[in-house]
Amino acid sequence: MKLKKVAATLLASAMILSMAACGTNTGSGSGSGSGSSSTDLTKEKITLNMWCIATESDSNRHSYEEAIKEMKAEYPDITLNWEAFENQSYKTKIKAAVAADELPDIFFTWSCAFLGDFVKADKVYCLDDAYQAYKSELPEVMLGNSTYDGKHYGVPLTMNIVGLFANMDLLKQAGYNEIPGSYTEFIACCDALKAKGIIPFGCAGSETWCVTEYLESVIEKSVGADALNDIFLGRATWNNSEVGAAVDTFQKMVNDGYFDPNGISLKNDEVKANFMAGKYAFYMNGTWNCADFANDANFFPKVKVAEFPVINADKAKLGQLIGGPSDTLAVAKSSKNAAAAAKYTFELGKKICHYGYLDGCGLPAWNPYGDTSSVNGLTQEVSKICAAADSYVLFGDTAMNADEANIYLDYVAQVYGCQIDGAGFIKGLSKDIR
Amino acid sequence: MRDKAYRNITIFFFLLPALMLFVGVLIYPILMSGYYSLFDMRSIRLNGTEAFGLGNYKELLLGIGTEAKKVGFLTLNLPTFGSINFWKALGNSLLLAALSVFLQLPLALGLALMLGKGIKGERTFLSIYFMPVLISTVVIGQLWRKIYNPDYGILNAVLELLGKEDAAHTVMPQGGWLGNVKSAIWCVFIPTLWQYVGYHMLLMYAGVRSVSPELREAAKLDGATDAQVDWYVVIPCIKNILRVSVIFAVTGSLKSFDLIYVLTEGGPYHATEVPSTLMISMLFLRNRYGMGSTIAVLLILLCFAFALIISAAFKEREYYGRKKHV
Repeated sequence: MKLKKVAATLLASAMILSMAACGTNTGSGSGSGSGSSSTDLTKEKITLNMWCIATESDSNRHSYEEAIKEMKAEYPDITLNWEAFENQSYKTKIKAAVAADELPDIFFTWSCAFLGDFVKADKVYCLDDAYQAYKSELPEVMLGNSTYDGKHYGVPLTMNIVGLFANMDLLKQAGYNEIPGSYTEFIACCDALKAKGIIPFGCAGSETWCVTEYLESVIEKSVGADALNDIFLGRATWNNSEVGAAVDTFQKMVNDGYFDPNGISLKNDEVKANFMAGKYAFYMNGTWNCADFANDANFFPKVKVAEFPVINADKAKLGQLIGGPSDTLAVAKSSKNAAAAAKYTFELGKKICHYGYLDGCGLPAWNPYGDTSSVNGLTQEVSKICAAADSYVLFGDTAMNADEANIYLDYVAQVYGCQIDGAGFIKGLSKDIR
Repeated sequence: MRDKAYRNITIFFFLLPALMLFVGVLIYPILMSGYYSLFDMRSIRLNGTEAFGLGNYKELLLGIGTEAKKVGFLTLNLPTFGSINFWKALGNSLLLAALSVFLQLPLALGLALMLGKGIKGERTFLSIYFMPVLISTVVIGQLWRKIYNPDYGILNAVLELLGKEDAAHTVMPQGGWLGNVKSAIWCVFIPTLWQYVGYHMLLMYAGVRSVSPELREAAKLDGATDAQVDWYVVIPCIKNILRVSVIFAVTGSLKSFDLIYVLTEGGPYHATEVPSTLMISMLFLRNRYGMGSTIAVLLILLCFAFALIISAAFKEREYYGRKKHV
């Protein structure tokens, strides 16, 4: 408990640092912020292969391109061949590559249980030695989700939380100039929106992780971050009547018509496009969306971000957030140049983080450097929310192992489709997740 | 004698590369799947600690326990399947197979018979009907997702043109065409059946064209109508092709995956789940490699069994057919 508070404080400190960096120009230009760029990675010419999910349509693409361009200029002796794959198919591809022992030297992964399976299979190179040179730039608390048995296996890139995005034009039509801060006001706002013929929420039911962004926030703000975290990490059972009641609260919102009824059959891209087109007043999703919102000159002035309001003040409070550093780069143990690849990965990760932050793809897991005044206002708002954070609960499907995560997603989908209620949810999960 | 032995050795050596390929690419993976299906394998490789036995088969076919459920007036102890309902997935596949045999194939046969008569523009029609087979399934999936889209889909627009006012609210089921448990299965099957009509039509068309014109002319001279010529002359002549088509349609339905995965990924709430989507979910989403292998083994056995049953059914008809004329 004490450790968690320390971790949360450190995370918050890291966010404050990132905020403090906004609008300042340290004068170090586009180069890295420390002397570690001069680290000798290798004495001979080598080729490294990398897989990631930064496809052409991915909001992180630009940050990868810029970072790799810089790396090529700084390390001409290292040739990097990189390939990007679509998110969902990548999950299949990377697992098949691990099974066949055909991992590339460097690969993108999600932290916690996803990377944990690969570490357990002894396929991932330990980064403890390489990390020593970057301790001052990458706070150790950021490595928590990719640390197994006290050893570090991943280089975090950006960190994200679930944000409540609002289309302020639509809220104004319902008589609200700000996103309501209390749950009672929030529900009143939803009713006012409905009365005006505006759908309050858009949620992609065909991608269940999108439903978890809503449901987990409702549960966290009902039962508190510690209780939810304990359940996700297997320290407590799902058989918790307060969780059941929170699920009923979420389902009441669905039954009261706050959600687009057609959302069940829609993909996240379609729902996001509808939100940006003014069909929904609210959209709860990862803060990586700030980049896409900022890139739309017409929509950007209308959008604001906030934290989901507290439902039960006895158990939860503002500052309890869903999210954390999850996007990670790792090095294959089978790599012929694993030691050099490890150092290269830290350098590359730092640059991807830098450009990703500038683009608004998330908050920096690394200490920011260079001129960050161009970071969009929405991402800066997210920084402020994180700076005031009390604790973080990692996304449920990332925190749990693959089998349990998919059983969990199955039940979440049934809740959204009103196939089961809160009691059915906790009963089913406590029975199916051992 | 020596020549014969020499010839056999030569044949063996010439067949060896193909045999090695067959064993390496087909037989060995099937055997390995069978082996892995006996383990409760939840990590990428076997580590020697996994439970060994028929646990996966038991869980898949008999469920994870029993639960008292009301069926009419009776309260029965029925098996519960948790999050892996193989029977539901198999039922969906068999429904698709039935639709394929009783809707898709008659349609394909009708088109083949019509085009086989040598109508004007035969080649053009042939190309048009065959076109969906050539298009990537992912493209077809995306296309139909747009057709079913609840906000701007063509289906709702067409219904409105046909006089159904505000089709999105009056005709479309709650949750959208692909989001409703009852409509999703039909919405997924329609493009699946549509895509392969052209494939079966082409097979049958080749058969229809190979029927000797003399046979048709003789039947005509005997006073048979066009329909009677097709029914009594052409169709019996292409029975072997029909058998192949039925086998392809049934086994294809059991193995159906790509279009369903693109359209719904087996959802909503497993309403469109088929064994292949369940297998992918087990293997690559839930890391239950043993259970995924179990589904793979059962799929192979089912396809094999259905192919044998269909072949036997056609043979039997052949026997009675001959007997009738004796």
